[in-house]
Amino acid sequence: MTSLLRTFGPSLTAVILLLTGLWIVGMIVAPQLIMVDKSFWYLDRGGDAGALSVRIDSLYNDVDLLGWDKTDTEALEPSAERDLKLVEIEQQITEKKAEITELETREIKPKKVYSLANYTLMGAAHFAIFAKTIFAALAVTVIAFIVCYPIAYSVAKLAPPGKAAIIMLGLIVPYAINELLRIFAWLMILNYNGVINVMLGFFGMEPVPFLESGSGVFIAMVYAYVLFMVFPIYNTVETLDTAQIEAARDLGAPMWKIHLRVILPHAKPGIAVGAIMTFMLSAGSYAVPYIMTRGIAAPWFTQLIYNKFFESNNWNAGAAYAFTLLITCTLFIFLLMRIFKIGIKDIAR
Amino acid sequence: MSHVSPTITGRASQVVLNLYLVIFFLYMFLPLILMVLAGFNDFSPPSVTVWKGFTFRWFGELAADTRMWTGLINSILIATLVIVIALPLGLAGAFLVTRLQSRFNGLLYGVMVSPLLTPGIILGISTLVFWRDLSVPGGLFTAAMAQATYIASYAMLMFMARLQRQDMTLEEAALDLGATPARAFRRITIPFLKPAILTASVIAFLQSFENYNTTIFSIGGEHTLVTEIGSRMRFGLSPAVNVIGMIFVVLTFFFAALYVLFREREKRRAAAALG
Repeated sequence: MTSLLRTFGPSLTAVILLLTGLWIVGMIVAPQLIMVDKSFWYLDRGGDAGALSVRIDSLYNDVDLLGWDKTDTEALEPSAERDLKLVEIEQQITEKKAEITELETREIKPKKVYSLANYTLMGAAHFAIFAKTIFAALAVTVIAFIVCYPIAYSVAKLAPPGKAAIIMLGLIVPYAINELLRIFAWLMILNYNGVINVMLGFFGMEPVPFLESGSGVFIAMVYAYVLFMVFPIYNTVETLDTAQIEAARDLGAPMWKIHLRVILPHAKPGIAVGAIMTFMLSAGSYAVPYIMTRGIAAPWFTQLIYNKFFESNNWNAGAAYAFTLLITCTLFIFLLMRIFKIGIKDIAR
Repeated sequence: MSHVSPTITGRASQVVLNLYLVIFFLYMFLPLILMVLAGFNDFSPPSVTVWKGFTFRWFGELAADTRMWTGLINSILIATLVIVIALPLGLAGAFLVTRLQSRFNGLLYGVMVSPLLTPGIILGISTLVFWRDLSVPGGLFTAAMAQATYIASYAMLMFMARLQRQDMTLEEAALDLGATPARAFRRITIPFLKPAILTASVIAFLQSFENYNTTIFSIGGEHTLVTEIGSRMRFGLSPAVNVIGMIFVVLTFFFAALYVLFREREKRRAAAALG
């Protein structure tokens, strides 16, 4: 704190603290907490909303009738009896009105009930979709590692500088092109009369319903997120001193052993970052299933979340589904940090 | 030489690796090439298997598409707002983490990078829920706030990387010579950070412009160019989408080539400096 004050002075320090405070509290922590809180309650409208509204209507009727009685009574000759009756009517009107206000607040502002109901709502069918989504994300992560490790290694250590620059360009272009457009290309390839099925037909084979079966989602997902594994691994392998590899070789280690004992251990933080990014993007992808299922194949978990929010308009259930996804991704991160024995500082650099 | 000499890998494995690279790049680029081709095919829905002749008519159809144009304007508006919000936040965060000596540093850092490790749809949802409780409905503003949450983390990492290379003695000297902290900040720290501010602005703009998953959950009834492309891909497919794809491919290629050239020049310059 003193070092901050010394370099920036009191007013700049105040601005820095205020901005980070707004960011951390107002944009990161509070929205997440509110979402989590929402996932644990639902609105109870007192069981039967219909009966409630009928009761309110009849009370309004009663008040109207009493109003008529009141004007009738007021038209009578002034007497003690008349005054007494007026007071009695007034009192009845106030009672009925009080009851109306109470019932109306219950109708407009239903009771908040904290429970796990939003989570138990999931049921077996939705849980199966959740499991499918997570399993697919894990599979994408493993495939991405197998595909990308040789590429990251060859760009970092094998290719001469000129060739490495060209390979780098070849990696950056597909990586930077919008996710939607890359997915869209696969729609044309996997379609019923798309490139692959036309080729299959050429060899006299039956067309394969990639999009209808949901396998199209997985194929496009691998394509869309595979490159998120390349760059983190490349960044760590590049920092490895080449002399270490040559020393291992000179001492007679076979190539596979050099990878296993020298390069892979060094690349651990990069592999962890790549795995976290790939898993998180695949599990949390709305774009890929949205485009590839086209409403024909079974939905994915992110689509269930979207539907809860914007179609059935049940934000509490939607928040519960979203929190389930968030917890899963967080657990995955901690699991990888434990397995690879790395800290948060190694992850985000 | 930073790369391993060819003798270390046998000639056979070199051939296998090259073959693997060729197959990988075919896998990466063939879908993109097909998408571009279908944009010139006089046939809708977009296809390369049914070829009806070469045409430019989808370019005209795209230019006349008003929803795409409003989407583009919205995208630029949101991206500008994101730069204005995310850069100061990222900068403040970077100052705090690099200069604050406290045992909470690790936790602070963890919280500030956590949006990068959170699925985009969760950021969109939580922002939407938060602002609705303050009676602000989903729209361009909430979309910008949701995006700024994680783009500020990107900016912070970029500023931190630059600040770690800062020569602190310069700032100390200015302060010792009687400059006020505000003056030292304006005359030394900000000029030093200028390149990082420029790169962070470009990255923030691109991240915001290209974002789909966070935006679709937080934008309410409005649309950006990318969310509009998304809904066109699902409903009413037209090769006009391929034309957009073509434009994105060309632009991306151009900027990626610039970036790689720049990187190579920096590397060569660094190597020359080392002698």
